[in-house]
Amino acid sequence: MKRLVVYTVLVLGAVVFAYPFLWMIAGSLKPELEITTLGLLSEEFSARSYEHVLTKIPIARAFLNSVIVSAATTSSVVLFGSLVGYALAKLRFVGSKALYLLILFTMMIPFQIVLIPQYILMVKLGWTDTYMGLVAPAMMTAFSIVLFRQFFMGVPQALIDAARIDGCSEFGIVYRIIWPLSKPVIVTVGLLTFMTNWNEVLWPLMVVRERTLMTMPQIVTLFTIGGAAESQLGPLLAAATLLSLPVVVAYVFFQRYFIESMASTGIKG
Amino acid sequence: MRRLLEIFLACLCAGVISCSEKRGAVDTHEGSVELTYWPAPNAQEMELADSLVRVWNRRHPGIHVIMQPIPVSQSTEEVLLAAIAGNTTPDVCSNIWPGALHEYTQAGGLLPLDMFADFDSIVPVRTPSELLGTFRSPDGHFYQLPWKTNPVMMFYNIGLLEEAGVHEVPLTYGRYLAAGRVVTRDRDGDGSIDVWMGERDIRPIWWQRLFDFYPFYIAASGGKTLFTGGSVSFDDRHAEEVFAFFQACYRNQYYPMTFFQGGDPFFLGKKATHFSGPWQIAAIAKFAPGMRFDVAPLPVPDDHTGPVYTSGDYKNIAIFGNTKHPKESWEFVKFLITAEHDLLMLEICNQIPVRGDLLTDSLFAGYFRRNPLMVRFAEQAVFTRGMDAVPDLKEIFDTISQQYEICAVYGEKSPREAVRDAAQHARLIIEWNR
Amino acid sequence: MRYMTAVRGAFKRSNRYGYLFVLPYVIFFLAFVAFPLVFSLILVFHRWNIVTPMEWVGLKNFVRLIHDPLFLQSVWNTLTFLFIHIPLQLVIALGLALLLNSRIRFRSFFRAIYFLPVVVSGVAVTILWQQLYAFDYGVLNTVLNSIGISSIPWIVDARWAMPSIAVMATWKNVGIYIVLFLVGLQTIPSDLYEAASIDGATRTRQFFHITLPMLNPTMIVIVVLSTIGGFSLFIEPYVLTGGGPMQSTLSAVLYIYNQAFYFGHMGYAATLGFVFALIILVVVVLQRRVIEAEQTS
Repeated sequence: MKRLVVYTVLVLGAVVFAYPFLWMIAGSLKPELEITTLGLLSEEFSARSYEHVLTKIPIARAFLNSVIVSAATTSSVVLFGSLVGYALAKLRFVGSKALYLLILFTMMIPFQIVLIPQYILMVKLGWTDTYMGLVAPAMMTAFSIVLFRQFFMGVPQALIDAARIDGCSEFGIVYRIIWPLSKPVIVTVGLLTFMTNWNEVLWPLMVVRERTLMTMPQIVTLFTIGGAAESQLGPLLAAATLLSLPVVVAYVFFQRYFIESMASTGIKG
Repeated sequence: MRRLLEIFLACLCAGVISCSEKRGAVDTHEGSVELTYWPAPNAQEMELADSLVRVWNRRHPGIHVIMQPIPVSQSTEEVLLAAIAGNTTPDVCSNIWPGALHEYTQAGGLLPLDMFADFDSIVPVRTPSELLGTFRSPDGHFYQLPWKTNPVMMFYNIGLLEEAGVHEVPLTYGRYLAAGRVVTRDRDGDGSIDVWMGERDIRPIWWQRLFDFYPFYIAASGGKTLFTGGSVSFDDRHAEEVFAFFQACYRNQYYPMTFFQGGDPFFLGKKATHFSGPWQIAAIAKFAPGMRFDVAPLPVPDDHTGPVYTSGDYKNIAIFGNTKHPKESWEFVKFLITAEHDLLMLEICNQIPVRGDLLTDSLFAGYFRRNPLMVRFAEQAVFTRGMDAVPDLKEIFDTISQQYEICAVYGEKSPREAVRDAAQHARLIIEWNR
Repeated sequence: MRYMTAVRGAFKRSNRYGYLFVLPYVIFFLAFVAFPLVFSLILVFHRWNIVTPMEWVGLKNFVRLIHDPLFLQSVWNTLTFLFIHIPLQLVIALGLALLLNSRIRFRSFFRAIYFLPVVVSGVAVTILWQQLYAFDYGVLNTVLNSIGISSIPWIVDARWAMPSIAVMATWKNVGIYIVLFLVGLQTIPSDLYEAASIDGATRTRQFFHITLPMLNPTMIVIVVLSTIGGFSLFIEPYVLTGGGPMQSTLSAVLYIYNQAFYFGHMGYAATLGFVFALIILVVVVLQRRVIEAEQTS
């Protein structure tokens, strides 16, 4: 009996969290007048709303921009996170402790204080309306460095010493031992970075004005606030669906990794 | 691998940094003078500018004018300020918004036009002195020359009014609200209202006030703008009357409280009155060609006497301080404001040149015969006011919008309190800029 | 003397590659962390619109801030948001986590569904909820009307708007916290419960005396993260309400954004950022103290 109650609640929960998305997809395909109903089905499904979106805003280009920016950012974060993390964990040099404390300190700085100065820096460097401007401030994160360092601390020193004795260069060690070993952390850091970067919209709104350079969430935001939707709900829902699609698809395949990365990092929190 | 990446990034940086657009001061060629001219970035004005520049270049082979469009992705004000700071200004620009004049002159960017000897003999002949005087800057000079205006007036749907029994255009608040009572109704009995007396966007967006509070205030106060001598002066009974008027429109539900979906309500015959400028005529012809409509001056308080003023969305001409050829630039500016070219502006852009003789000079008679509705705007043109040259106008209008939202739309403050708070905050803003 | 030789010795033994590997980050730190921090401290004493030269104004920005009704409004709005969002978050996340932690099947399926809104962009979620919350033809009001309840002004009434955003934010983020609670629950040793049962403690007592205290660290994390999230609220009010009605959904970051990009007040915007950052730090520190105190008591 109690099990029934538990399952009912869980299923209700699932409905609450999943149904709105189904409604959104259905709404993007329904004729305008039927959108406000709760149901999912309709006699006349059509792709008209999607046509409207695709012709009014360069959403495909925006998708490409998001891919480029997020891929560049994620690779950079993983690359530098692993290198710095390894250096702090395994290489001995004066100042490594101090640097680590500094990095921890930066994690406590609320972004509100650096937001405007960072924007001004972009303007002065001439990086507004460029990919560089979108990628640069996100290129390295304290978070990834801390995670990598944590992981590397657990790698047996003997492994590295053996490689050194064998005449392996430092770069070789990184390339041949460190990176292959750290696959789980790479996945964790990579997924989280990609996801947060993909969904990021405040920074692009500040730094990019040129429509051909806008990221996908950014262009959908402007579509919503500007008049391009002409007060019609269908195109709005279609835009939202298109925006969610890439991440949801990735989620369906990598769902376990997404959740586990969040979980493991939350504990450190 | 990593080295490659770093080199690549460095090259990218270098490439990006070095690719910056440069525009502006052009050097002379073959000993003749070259001027750059920036018109407004919309299709009709560019067409007008193109024709004018072509004629000029033919008549003045020694002074060559190059027209350059302003990039559409940014506001003209941003582009001009950046040009002033970066020393990349044109010689002449005809898209000067009076509201930004303070920013331009503060940066030392504009030339005082009255330094030219023939300013006094030419400009006041075109634009009546009373109106011209409102464009003088606090230091006594004229940094802008009023070129064209779009007076805000009331468009009304004759059919909708007559249907409800209103046969006279409501020209006062009392008659407007009385008309609202009979016009706003549920016509087809489906339970929801389908005709409204009017409609405004209820979100407190600052420029929306340019189509309700601001023109109504100028009308109610008989031509007074919000500031006098750079100080706030709108906390008076005229502002309270305007707030009270709109508050009544919302309280009595003559205006809807929601966003309209599915298109413009005036074109769809859902609202009876609309406050806008002459560009609306072409839009109605395109989207609602069958509508019977006319244009009238804005409603005023019941006890109002004298002519009805309104705000005009002015765009003015200025010469930039960095110009290497002030005299030639002035010749070009004078060329732009001749009667023949003002006629061209009427014909190509359907916007009103700021001249006093539009309805008396036979040169324009043909145009007004063909466009009778424009007569209304021409009549209104001399009774318009622009924006004061005060810093931070946007933020001041933003705070007026917030009080408008609280008082008129939601009825949570009395007009007196709302005006007082708006004026107080506006004073703070001016103080912060001192 | 000996100290110097010791330091120099340590330097000699330092792995050169260590410096090489951290160099990119040091450059990054100087450019994107140190410089902005220092520059912000300079900017708060100036008036600037980026285009024309900076103008020194001393403490004027701070004086302005103290008298600025919109600044106080944005703080108040954020507190309103947090007072609804945090308790709602804790209750729902804990509740669902407890259910998921019991002996049921399809646990990963449920967990995946609850987590779905987390990965989707905030923009898409906001567009979706805009249609749910719309006054005239929104889904929620349509449903309410059909069962006889009149429409609720979800986002067009100053009293409902921020709470509505808080509910939407809870819906979006509760998945993370369910996962965190699940991890926390699974670290509680089961023999604690067994011992308590043997002692005769009821399930309720066990909950309040074992589960909750052991989950304290997780709850701190959730409260802190939610608070930081509350002060970072931007895209939801930006898209859904534009800060209205009557500035009731003007969030901290939205106000900074408006001051910087709408009005061009870079100095004042930097001042706002500075003060908000201070507020966040103070609030977070206080929260940790309060919750830890509760734990020890």
